[in-house]
Amino acid sequence: MTVLQQEVRKLTVPPKPRQPKRKIISLVITAVVVAAHVFAWNTTGMSVTAFAEGWQGMVDFIGEAFPPNLSWEVLKPSLEGARTTLWIGLLGTTLSVPASLVLALLATRGMAPGYVYQSARSVLSFLRAVPEIVFALVFVTAVGLGPFPGVLALVCHNVGVMGKLWAESIEDVDPGPATALRSAGAGRIQVASHALLPMVTPQMTGLLMYRFDVNVRSSLVLGLVGAGGIGFLINQSIRTFKFDEMLTHIIVVLVLIIAVDRLSALVRARLS
Amino acid sequence: MLALTGIKVHYGAQQVLYGVDVTVGRGELLAVLGANGCGKSTLLRAAAGLQPMTAGEVLVGGEPAGRLDIAVIFQHIHLVRRRSVLDNVCAGALGRLPLHKSLVPALFPAEVKEEAMACLDRVGLADRAHDKAGSLSGGQQQRVAVARALCQRPKVLLADEPVSALDPAASEQVLALLAELAHDEDMAVLAVLHQPALASRHADRVVGMRDGQVALDGAPDQPVDHLYSPINPLSVETVS
Repeated sequence: MTVLQQEVRKLTVPPKPRQPKRKIISLVITAVVVAAHVFAWNTTGMSVTAFAEGWQGMVDFIGEAFPPNLSWEVLKPSLEGARTTLWIGLLGTTLSVPASLVLALLATRGMAPGYVYQSARSVLSFLRAVPEIVFALVFVTAVGLGPFPGVLALVCHNVGVMGKLWAESIEDVDPGPATALRSAGAGRIQVASHALLPMVTPQMTGLLMYRFDVNVRSSLVLGLVGAGGIGFLINQSIRTFKFDEMLTHIIVVLVLIIAVDRLSALVRARLS
Repeated sequence: MLALTGIKVHYGAQQVLYGVDVTVGRGELLAVLGANGCGKSTLLRAAAGLQPMTAGEVLVGGEPAGRLDIAVIFQHIHLVRRRSVLDNVCAGALGRLPLHKSLVPALFPAEVKEEAMACLDRVGLADRAHDKAGSLSGGQQQRVAVARALCQRPKVLLADEPVSALDPAASEQVLALLAELAHDEDMAVLAVLHQPALASRHADRVVGMRDGQVALDGAPDQPVDHLYSPINPLSVETVS
């Protein structure tokens, strides 16, 4: 008799232990989530009928944009605007690195005294909570229209986001080498520079590239409120009802975003 | 050289060390043996200042242990795998370097790098100085960790299960290296081990622990099976 022909031994699966408390908690969570969605739907004025009725207006708007105006008179400023948008995104990312690094280290559990840790976390939360567009409006009133306030706005918001992401990456790193250096008498800054940061550099670089990608897209929106770049041109063409020019700018933006996204993905893939 | 006196450690309400006394002489390799949970690693961590003690003293040369007197070699090696072997060894000197000379590896003074090279030579890895630490085998990485500990210029070397993750050949090499360091450099070396056979071949003396107390202290070739048996002979004696 082969092994396969032998009678297979079977055992009855025991019933799962009853967990009535867990079931009630699941039901309550489901009810809360559903209620929140119903409330959100009503509060935001969501309406399928309004969307269906307004469909024609949207089609007309898009129809007027076709074909895009690809003349050099439109394309040239569009490419220059895209270049400015790219530079805003680049500077908004790189100039935020020093402050992000310092705040990330201070906001890492165990790296600084409790009150410093809490203060750093609060600063990061504040910078993250204020949208770039609000920072841009503030800086436009301070330094005038143009790319400069856009860069400042991106730096402020990006410090908040990147500081938090970096702090969490540092907290997730294997604590072993840091313990080894502490036992060898190294101070906190030495532990950070010789154990924590070298270990977390790939993750931090990957997050930096991701933020560059996001910031280029954000700088486009900032252009709408006067912070320069191609967003400013899109805003102008809508205001002057030149929808074919608007579509040209949007196509240029699309190419820019795809290029940055590919670059970011490539770098992150190499790092991982 | 190293004297641990009356070491008591609690984890919350639970006491894990009950007034342990252990000494290690200059030029001696002491192996601490015992079953899992007997308190031997806790004792080592307390000696290294990595575990707060409820009571007791750690003395080096009759004085309370200084910040850089004791170097530790860990079971999981704990090298920065992305950094070069040389950078990892230089990191052992961080405790005596000011920040402006140690913020990044490029700032390490030439004499520290030369000393690190000598430490690497001591463990037989001078030719791998510029390789990434992560590219070395487990045994080689543990030897780099020994070199990093030497670069600290310690008087006492503590090794917490230094060969647990290594194959038998690499384990023999690392233990032989620790014995050499003890004898040639006149250091006090305390190694927590799980392999009585290795201890009997390389250690000068053995301390056995059981239930947070020292259960034997003597020659490395004495029987140690009772340390690992489920019934504590000390308790049986007490009851009988």
